[in-house]
Amino acid sequence: MRLDRHAGPALLAALVAAVAFVWVTPFLWTLVAAFRHESAGSAGMASLLPDFTPTLANFRLALESGEFGLYYVNTIIVVVGVLGVQLVTISLAGYAFARLEFPGRDVLFYVFLVQLMLVPAVLIVPNLRTTVDLGLYDTLAGVMAPYFASAFGTFLMRQTFRGIPRDFEEAAAIDGAPWWAIVWHVLLPMARPGLIAFAIVSVTAHWNEFLWPLMVINDPANHTLTIGLATFTKGAEGAKEWGVLAAGTLLVMAPLAVVFVAFQRRFVDSFVFSGIKG
Amino acid sequence: MHVIRRLGAGALAAALVLTSSVAWAQTRIEFFFPVPVEGKLAREMTRLVKQFNDSQKDIEVTAVYTGSYDETKLKAQAAAKAGKPPSVVLMSANFTVDLKLAGDILSLEPFLAAEGTTREKFLGDFWPALHANATVDSELYGVPFHNSTPLLYINATHFKEAGLDPAKPPRTWVELVDAAKKLTKRDGEKVERHGFMMPGGYDYLGWLMSALSMSNGGRYFNESYGGEVYYDTPSMLGAAKLVEDLVYKHKVMPSGVIEAGGVSTAFFAGKASMVLLSTGSLSFIRENMKTPYDVAFVPRNVRNAVPIGGASLVMFKGQSEASQQAGWKFVRWLSSTDVLGGWSRFTGYFAPRKSAYDTAEMKDFITRNPDAKVALDQLAYAQPWFATYQTVAVRKALEDEMQAVMNGKKKAEQAVKDAQRKADELLRPYIDQTALKLP
Amino acid sequence: MTVDAIITADVLDVPSSPVRTVRRRRFASWRLAYMLLLPSLLGLAAFTYLPVLRVAIDALHVTPHGAGGATRFVGLENFARVLGDAAFRQAALNNLIYAVGTVGPSVVLALLFALAVRRSTRFNAVVRTILFFPSLVPLVAAASLFFFIFLPGVGLLDYYLAKLGVSGPNWIGDTDVALWSIVGLTVWKNAGYYMLFYIAGLQNVPRDHIEAATVDGANAMQRLWYVILPALRPTTAFVITIALIHMLTAVDHVVVLTKGGPSNATNLLLFYIFQEAHENFDTGKAAAATVISVAVLLLVSLGSLRGMEAGSRREA
Repeated sequence: MRLDRHAGPALLAALVAAVAFVWVTPFLWTLVAAFRHESAGSAGMASLLPDFTPTLANFRLALESGEFGLYYVNTIIVVVGVLGVQLVTISLAGYAFARLEFPGRDVLFYVFLVQLMLVPAVLIVPNLRTTVDLGLYDTLAGVMAPYFASAFGTFLMRQTFRGIPRDFEEAAAIDGAPWWAIVWHVLLPMARPGLIAFAIVSVTAHWNEFLWPLMVINDPANHTLTIGLATFTKGAEGAKEWGVLAAGTLLVMAPLAVVFVAFQRRFVDSFVFSGIKG
Repeated sequence: MHVIRRLGAGALAAALVLTSSVAWAQTRIEFFFPVPVEGKLAREMTRLVKQFNDSQKDIEVTAVYTGSYDETKLKAQAAAKAGKPPSVVLMSANFTVDLKLAGDILSLEPFLAAEGTTREKFLGDFWPALHANATVDSELYGVPFHNSTPLLYINATHFKEAGLDPAKPPRTWVELVDAAKKLTKRDGEKVERHGFMMPGGYDYLGWLMSALSMSNGGRYFNESYGGEVYYDTPSMLGAAKLVEDLVYKHKVMPSGVIEAGGVSTAFFAGKASMVLLSTGSLSFIRENMKTPYDVAFVPRNVRNAVPIGGASLVMFKGQSEASQQAGWKFVRWLSSTDVLGGWSRFTGYFAPRKSAYDTAEMKDFITRNPDAKVALDQLAYAQPWFATYQTVAVRKALEDEMQAVMNGKKKAEQAVKDAQRKADELLRPYIDQTALKLP
Repeated sequence: MTVDAIITADVLDVPSSPVRTVRRRRFASWRLAYMLLLPSLLGLAAFTYLPVLRVAIDALHVTPHGAGGATRFVGLENFARVLGDAAFRQAALNNLIYAVGTVGPSVVLALLFALAVRRSTRFNAVVRTILFFPSLVPLVAAASLFFFIFLPGVGLLDYYLAKLGVSGPNWIGDTDVALWSIVGLTVWKNAGYYMLFYIAGLQNVPRDHIEAATVDGANAMQRLWYVILPALRPTTAFVITIALIHMLTAVDHVVVLTKGGPSNATNLLLFYIFQEAHENFDTGKAAAATVISVAVLLLVSLGSLRGMEAGSRREA
């Protein structure tokens, strides 16, 4: 049975909207709760209907608990620094694994993947020691260094390069282009969707990371956003100030959401490069 | 670019600091602290440290916020292993035994000796219940900084509705069950409002079970030897049975586990009429509860007794002589009567020093906040906090079993037996090295 | 077709020029490959292989906690202790149930999401952000936010279920329900995350292939099955492998929410290792458990990648 040409997409859109609503509910609540008066708890606190008189008190309390301006700057330095180095390392390594023949390639690839398989519990002490030995303890560079090589990114770029038909490179190779020209002018432009996806994931992960920066940083001038946020999410005595929490979460997330919207719109451009039309 | 410029600036700053510290012969030390209740505490702590730094020229303390109690321990130990131990750490008071066993922290006895005082004299001004958690194997390892006990919070409006007198909160287990039954509101099978709730998550549950077993005449653990816990005992069985009955016989408490944040939220939302929470939440509840409430001692079956909780100042090994002396000076300042009193009024925790309550500010504060007086009076019945070899795992042995009881998966009788067996297994290596290591 | 011939020749390593040139080219290719991998390998050596070495050593030693016990070599004793630990076995079982319940639904949903929002319209931009939202929540706030969703009585789920006349269970406090709540939460969190890679993958599906199939009269399902999915094979290999690895290593949102409780019902291997290393001071056991989990993950990713890539090679 075939659906009507228009009913199909309409049904799909309705379904997508319904799922999106379920997905967005916690976010809507965060938004409403951040502007709500009663912070600690009331019977109707889960309601998604905003109050008549919104308040900025929660934001003020959240902002007062630390130097957020400084935290933003530090966090931006970390995510930009990490991503910048990663884009180079993963493009090179991804190209090697996807396109070059060399002995031990498969074994080496799995040896790379081990990075993804270790849990922080066993990494903290050895990596902190390495950070101290490299003289990076209590610096933002120390927060970044362990992430410069990324097995995740290398893997993603390997798969992305593999998904690109070889005819373009072959054509360039026949024209005598060196490897780096092929990577730069042929592969990377076509791999943009993969790079964008990786950039989103990398920025999100390091923007939100808590435990490693907490371990490396002592100087309050080097603190990142999540450490500031933790001061009011980590209460141990049963105190939950939902409103301040929601406001703080929004403060941390807002720039990230903007970046996400900006990045993901770039996905569309890749059609221009990947279209193989005549 | 930014990165490089920033790193350069950091190096320059470090160089400047280095030269300046040489010039002034100033000792720089680090102080790690968690924030156990609310964000504004971090600011207050930073302010206190600044006050100390401004008060003298020899020592410059960097106050480092280090997350929760657990993360603070994690960071301090990892930093020590990486060769960068902090000087002073505000640490959950029941980690002291494990930290000493791990060889991470300094005995404070030499500092006392240098001052020409003794442990007994030094601890004389601290509440007796705090002494056990400050000492390990008869040596001082921690200086109490802020402390708490469990406390019963009641919703006064609900009490009146149910025909109970809010001025007379339940004092015994019998009265507790009786009041809880009257306070529970049902709509057929469904419970609209629970008469009683207590946090059932890890850490909190073990603390409250020790409160209930102590109120039942028990001890929970051996204060002077880290290799013994008393789970399979009549006092603990009675406590476990009480919890089981509150859920399944009297049906006045929800089944399953509810974390502390859920319990306080339910109390604010009017979904729970009586809750057991820490005195550390007192300020938070005072500020946020919209309807009248009152506080009372934890109800007893045999005797009034509660465990203490809170945090102590400890000093890490691996510091230079100068840093050690500076660290001790800072510990002495932070644990002075005035600082402890001010911190107590700000946070709602107890001041561990008795003398803090003799000051005019404190007397005034207690008059204005009668609920704080109740919490203070309960201190007379306070007992040491659970701390053994592998404290967390040994406590979890009981908590896992109690959570099974609260989920109707196990009977209290079986649960305490299984908890004891598991705890004994965990303690075995230590027992073999100590009590059973015979000539 | 010439392009096909070239690809086949490359895949089968058919020499297309005199042997000596091939050798020289091969050597140059090796050198180049290692040169390109060097920056990554330096980073991995410092922050992955050094800890791996540490773990390997720790796994064969015991350092008794307290009473001045010295570290001693114990061979495989730590492995025996880990495998004999009921808590480890339960964590492994929980992790298996969690993985089975989570990977399939999140990957399928991710693909469907990506197909639904593949075109970059303004509406889709909003929907993409919404679907990705769970990954934007910082972990330090996630514990509280996710906790609020599941809060009994007054939480987000119960509040709206009550409006429908349904009374929910104690979502994360009931030993029978908690693991499934966590599975649901993880699907919610991961589907939007994996969607990103499918969106990226879809951008590279040649449009003319789809158009050709449409001209040939293929319906949407047929186009998906015979054109789009085969073209997405490298992406799917990536997403499934990553999803499987994540089931063990990226479960911090579960840990902060339940700390493995109640009664270990949601204890996963990651938290088990954490507890042994940092709460129980048993580095030997933590290291042995790590070695076991890495070995399992290597086997699993080897299996999933080999399976998928064998398929993609056939496609070529």
